[in-house]
Amino acid sequence: MEKVKITPYQLFALILLFELGSALLVAIGIEAKQDAWIVILLGMIGGLLLFFVFYRLYCFYPDCLPTEYIQKIMGKGLGKSVAFLYMMYNVYVAARVLRDFGAMLLTFAYIETPLFIANTLMILVIVYSVSKGIEVLARTGELFLVFIYFLAGSGVLLVLFSGVVDLHNLQPVLENGWKPIVKATVKETIYFPFGELIVFSMIMPYLRDSKKIRNVGIIGVIVSGISLMLVMVFNLSILGVNLTARSQFPLLSTIQTIHVADFLERLDVYFMIALIVGGFFKISIFLYAAVIGTANICNIKPASRLTYPLGLVVLFISMTMASNFPEHLKEGIRVVPLLLHLPFQIIFPLLLLGLAFWKNRKKTN
Amino acid sequence: MKRYMAVFLLLIMSLTFLSGCWSKKELNDLALVSAVGLDLDKQGRFVGTFQFINPGNVTGGFQGGGGGQGNAVSVYSSKGDNMDEVSRRMSTKVSRNLYYAHANLVVISDELAKKKGVLPILDAFDRDATFRNTATIVIAHHVKAADLVKTLTAIDKIPANKMIKLLRFSERVWGGTMNVMIMDVIRDLTDDGKQPVISGFNLKGSGETGKTTQSIMQTTPESAPQIGGLALFKGGKLTGWLYGSQARGVVWTLNKIKKTDINLSKKGKKEAIAFEVIRQNTKISAFKIDGETHLKVKVDTEGNIGETKVPVNLKDPMVIKQLEDGFEKVIEKEITSAITAAQKKKTDIFGFGDAVHRSQPKTWKRISDKWDDTYFAKAKVEVEADAFVRRTALRNNSFLSDVE
Repeated sequence: MEKVKITPYQLFALILLFELGSALLVAIGIEAKQDAWIVILLGMIGGLLLFFVFYRLYCFYPDCLPTEYIQKIMGKGLGKSVAFLYMMYNVYVAARVLRDFGAMLLTFAYIETPLFIANTLMILVIVYSVSKGIEVLARTGELFLVFIYFLAGSGVLLVLFSGVVDLHNLQPVLENGWKPIVKATVKETIYFPFGELIVFSMIMPYLRDSKKIRNVGIIGVIVSGISLMLVMVFNLSILGVNLTARSQFPLLSTIQTIHVADFLERLDVYFMIALIVGGFFKISIFLYAAVIGTANICNIKPASRLTYPLGLVVLFISMTMASNFPEHLKEGIRVVPLLLHLPFQIIFPLLLLGLAFWKNRKKTN
Repeated sequence: MKRYMAVFLLLIMSLTFLSGCWSKKELNDLALVSAVGLDLDKQGRFVGTFQFINPGNVTGGFQGGGGGQGNAVSVYSSKGDNMDEVSRRMSTKVSRNLYYAHANLVVISDELAKKKGVLPILDAFDRDATFRNTATIVIAHHVKAADLVKTLTAIDKIPANKMIKLLRFSERVWGGTMNVMIMDVIRDLTDDGKQPVISGFNLKGSGETGKTTQSIMQTTPESAPQIGGLALFKGGKLTGWLYGSQARGVVWTLNKIKKTDINLSKKGKKEAIAFEVIRQNTKISAFKIDGETHLKVKVDTEGNIGETKVPVNLKDPMVIKQLEDGFEKVIEKEITSAITAAQKKKTDIFGFGDAVHRSQPKTWKRISDKWDDTYFAKAKVEVEADAFVRRTALRNNSFLSDVE
């Protein structure tokens, strides 16, 4: 483990930026139509429960990284391979987010630029900051959090002053009952974005004040959940269900409706900034987790030596994972939650927690 | 040595990555599209007429000082089977890249709207990243879309801006028209409980004179675009027009009236007393009585007395009350006639279907397919208006009371 420490507020900033990251930009839970915002709230509750699982695991082994305590819980051989799988998972998800990011940039602004260039530029910045370590990342997060919420606050005001919000679009609430809502929650929002918090179990040991992790985590999840819900409410009430569902990036369309006093309009740059800042932190955190985890498993010191090779891997996976954007999205909605998120975010942690309980009870006896 | 190599490499890399010239488009290689007009030719292909801004001729205000010689806009047309083709064919006539981010107006001819409808057109505008779907859409009435786009205008040099400002301003003070965005139209098209309605434009004078500067050199331009009517759509196709007070009835029902004026006949004189509406709020709702769905429009409005042509005692609150009742009847009549007209065309442009959807989701599932043709067309709509006269401006009784 690196000998660095981050403050509770920095962890909070990282959690928030991470959660908002790419979830802010796409229509999550839109399967439940005008009740998508309820889906996000339910997902947030699920995310809180998952966070407690990760937190309990951390409480058993507050001084070591998950890659170590997995080995302690499951035994050396099995533990090592599970930990290694986890690192592959982190790299893969980082690549997914990078692809999301690149595709969005190309769809909306840089139509003629090759995807490879956009992704390369992004990963270069990310690799550089990750190689500087978690402290640097956390301080950057501290700075950008204020910035993002300033943008969000002014954005909300501008949208309200434009007079385009029509809350009728949210009605009827619960048109088809709870079933589609629960279904969308279980299939989507609980994993993306909330279950992805699992990656923070790699960062928790770095917190200076370990007692505060629980509260910081809870507040972080709740604030991000509510922020996402508000964005969804705005999207739905301004664009309507249909347009929200058809938009690749509903938030962009929402921002484009801003029209105040005949000159405050076309503020697409708001979307652009949210996109780049969010994407940066999400990919960085996944990549960082992968770097320190892999270094820990393979005993490589210093860990930052791995940043460039792993960054390269992320870049190439992001290029080859899908041949077009719809394919990429479809995989993200149908395949990844079931095959990757479900085991890595829910089944493995629960299993580990059960084993940890069992082992530690034996010790005290 | 190694160090110098590294620095050199870094410089080369910055040259490629930081210069930001990947797909650069210089301003003098762009043709700024301000309006797009769409017609049909005899073979049924689309004819796109594009209004391009001549930046050099726009500056300097309407006195013409400082501005260059020539027109503020130039107009070219091209044909194609879809919007992308129309746009790309334009390159055979225009020497620059078409840039749509400033295109604020789409004009569709009524012929096209009737025959093909708006469905085959709108996807291109909705999908394209540079084109804003907050652009205004209007229907050219009794005139080719091309002629409207070609017509030069006097005070606002760019005709597209003039037409949009007309719509916005008229919506604000008169209310017989609406500024409808492409986004709104698409939302209504996909919504099974509401049909689109789009403002119409016609041309005073002929298209031939409109495209010459001589037209706007006169105090009364020979040709000028003007607002006229609301186009009703059903299933994406134009089915009919509403004008005058019926059109305003539609705008009332849609809760889009900002200010307007309501006239009341009194003592045998037509439209003798004018009521200036200052604000209003209209709600539509659907509820059930004895298992049947009832629709209701409720208007709350307040304003001042704007004019009286006959002597009335405006000092007397009872008289004011009577006037209020009179205004309410006028508003109710206007709205009812608009709704009846739409019912005849079997198209629910008011969003009553949405009201049913909101209040009775289960019933809606059963009837949504047949809503326009069966249920809406036969529905009984209750219209209720509450008008409040708050003030009578600078005078109480009119001087007419002492003249007669």
